[in-house]
Amino acid sequence: MAKPVRRRLRKFLPWALGLFGGGIALAFIIAYSGIYNIAASAGHPAWLEWFLQLGKERSVIFNSRSVDPPKLDIAELVPLGAAHFQGTCATCHGVPGQPVNPVFEHMLPSPPDLQKHAPHWTREQLFWIARHGIQFTGMPAWSGKDRDDEVWAVAAFLEALPSMTKADYHRHASGNSETQGYSAKQFISEGRPRLDLTACSRCHDTADAPPTSLHIPRLGGQGEAYLIRALQDYRDDSRQSGFMEPVADDLDDEQIERLAAYYASLTPFPHKRARPSSPEARELGRQLAEQGDRERKIPACLSCHGVKRRTDYPRLAGQSEQYIKQQLQILRRGGRDQTPHGAMMSVVAKRLTEQQVEAAASFFASQPPQAEHSRLDKWGAASQP
Amino acid sequence: MKIVSHRFSILFLVMALLAMAGCAGEQSAFAGLGPVSSRITLLIWIMFTGAALITAFICVLMAISIAGPANWRHKLAREKVIVLGGIVFPVVTLTTLLFYGFLILKAGGKLIRAEDPVHIAVVGEQWWWRVIYRHDDGHTTESANELHIPVGRPIEIELSTADVIHSFWIPAYAGKVDMIPGRINTLHFMADKSGIVHGQCAEYCGGAHALMSFYAVAMAPFDYEAWLAKERADAKPALENKGEQLFLSSGCGGCHTVRGTRANGKIGPDLTHVGSRLSLGAGILPNAPEHFAQWISRHQKIKPDNLMPPFDFFSENELQALAAYLDGLE
Repeated sequence: MAKPVRRRLRKFLPWALGLFGGGIALAFIIAYSGIYNIAASAGHPAWLEWFLQLGKERSVIFNSRSVDPPKLDIAELVPLGAAHFQGTCATCHGVPGQPVNPVFEHMLPSPPDLQKHAPHWTREQLFWIARHGIQFTGMPAWSGKDRDDEVWAVAAFLEALPSMTKADYHRHASGNSETQGYSAKQFISEGRPRLDLTACSRCHDTADAPPTSLHIPRLGGQGEAYLIRALQDYRDDSRQSGFMEPVADDLDDEQIERLAAYYASLTPFPHKRARPSSPEARELGRQLAEQGDRERKIPACLSCHGVKRRTDYPRLAGQSEQYIKQQLQILRRGGRDQTPHGAMMSVVAKRLTEQQVEAAASFFASQPPQAEHSRLDKWGAASQP
Repeated sequence: MKIVSHRFSILFLVMALLAMAGCAGEQSAFAGLGPVSSRITLLIWIMFTGAALITAFICVLMAISIAGPANWRHKLAREKVIVLGGIVFPVVTLTTLLFYGFLILKAGGKLIRAEDPVHIAVVGEQWWWRVIYRHDDGHTTESANELHIPVGRPIEIELSTADVIHSFWIPAYAGKVDMIPGRINTLHFMADKSGIVHGQCAEYCGGAHALMSFYAVAMAPFDYEAWLAKERADAKPALENKGEQLFLSSGCGGCHTVRGTRANGKIGPDLTHVGSRLSLGAGILPNAPEHFAQWISRHQKIKPDNLMPPFDFFSENELQALAAYLDGLE
């Protein structure tokens, strides 16, 4: 029984090897000769289109299977995702009420209109695509390393996008910024007013509005040197953020300095309040801020984060709980170790317990921005033995 | 084969000599600069000499038993010799040594009942020493990484730890005593003459254990009182306050105390009079203005794993100002 099978195999083997080798040679000849037309204008033959779609679809499903979505605070994340979409994604993907730009429509594959295509994917799959990008399509990977928290904001937005009207979208994407109609003369010389990537108020606070989300820091009254440092760190890729890096990349030194000076002198507009935090957490946070935790070798937060401190240290009073907590978590993971200031703070952040992170965030969030002074003096006065 | 063993013996000799070098100078267990350590030194010499004599004697006996005259060998084989030399002699010698050892252990104990001891508490921390002087009026003065003691007065040191087990050892004055979490051990000793000696943590306590040392400074009683009064006083206002401003605004006061300023941190060493200390970083760098700047900007390279966060963002000017300020804290 075994013998005839083996004999037949021996006969078959040279044929199989020959076919395989011939196939490779043929593929090489086709590629080298250049007869296959890779022009975007030529399009894909239907069978190839089907094959590529199949490969992409299966790959996204397969690779995103282990993505574990955190609990998402949709209302706070959608404005964040929308503003980022407007600044970077909309160029290719278009926005509600405005079809895909004809230039990018002529890419192959052409970027999909996500109002139609987003429902095709699950939340995990949307996250995976925005996080990792797709080869050979022009879809880039997320530019902030270890910033999955930001990608989830985009996923949350993309889930909400299909049901958005033009007005809904505009409200979310423009945030606090106002684009008014230009006169014909302005129009001719400066172009159509648009929501530019560097329009900070799409997300951040203005003289009469808080930041658009609790995940976004308040900039009014922040230290000037800190703001300059933050933008420079984003620009040279030493501080990671898929939201802020493209913005900072568009700014030159002089613009950074002007922006920092503007926000430093802007009267802080308090954050809208989310849920009030527990009094116990605030009390624990107050102790941590004023005295630190000697047991865990944590210095008092206010020894660095106060008004009379170096202006390249950030001021935290009146920032939102979510933002402070998020940054502490990034620091604890070592996500800000590439900058000297971040490396210093991450040593302290790593000593905090989960409970202390919550407590510190809720304490600073409960402080009105101007009250730092009195807190600081109290902290200072306590020093006299 | 012979060459190899010859080389090894040279290597061994070199290593032994290198190790012996550790016995000299300011960190020597042979120095015997106080009554406690000089008794320990005496015990070492008695043990060493006795062991050498006994070894020599055994060698002679072995030589006789192998190659000696027949009647000597015959005498050595008697039962009486075995009983006397093999049982009675070791029992008597070892028992005597044991009791002598107990006596020496009590040498520090005698100082317990001594009147008017100097009370100092030392807390082992990863990886430095918190030194607390207890004054007669009940007040305390905190300092760090340097132990000042008067000559000729019994010293009583309370040893405790803030984290893991450390061991406090000033070889020139006394044997080592462990610092154990949850308890206080007491060490007694006395210095016979003034001088500066070196101490070291003698129990592995984590990454920077080898770089956890300190200086002990024995002073004439009058000098000691003067020094203590100065140590107790607050820091003098800085002549030029740029460095002080920088120290406070950069958050240094969150961990360090400089008495007389807002800086009241209790996590790291007290820096009130750091400028007058012999060393920086717990016995690691000699005290000099340029070493302050080096320590602040490169301390994770100088003393890897130490618990101070890295401050790699000070400009050269800022470092100079901070160094000048700290150096001026005398």
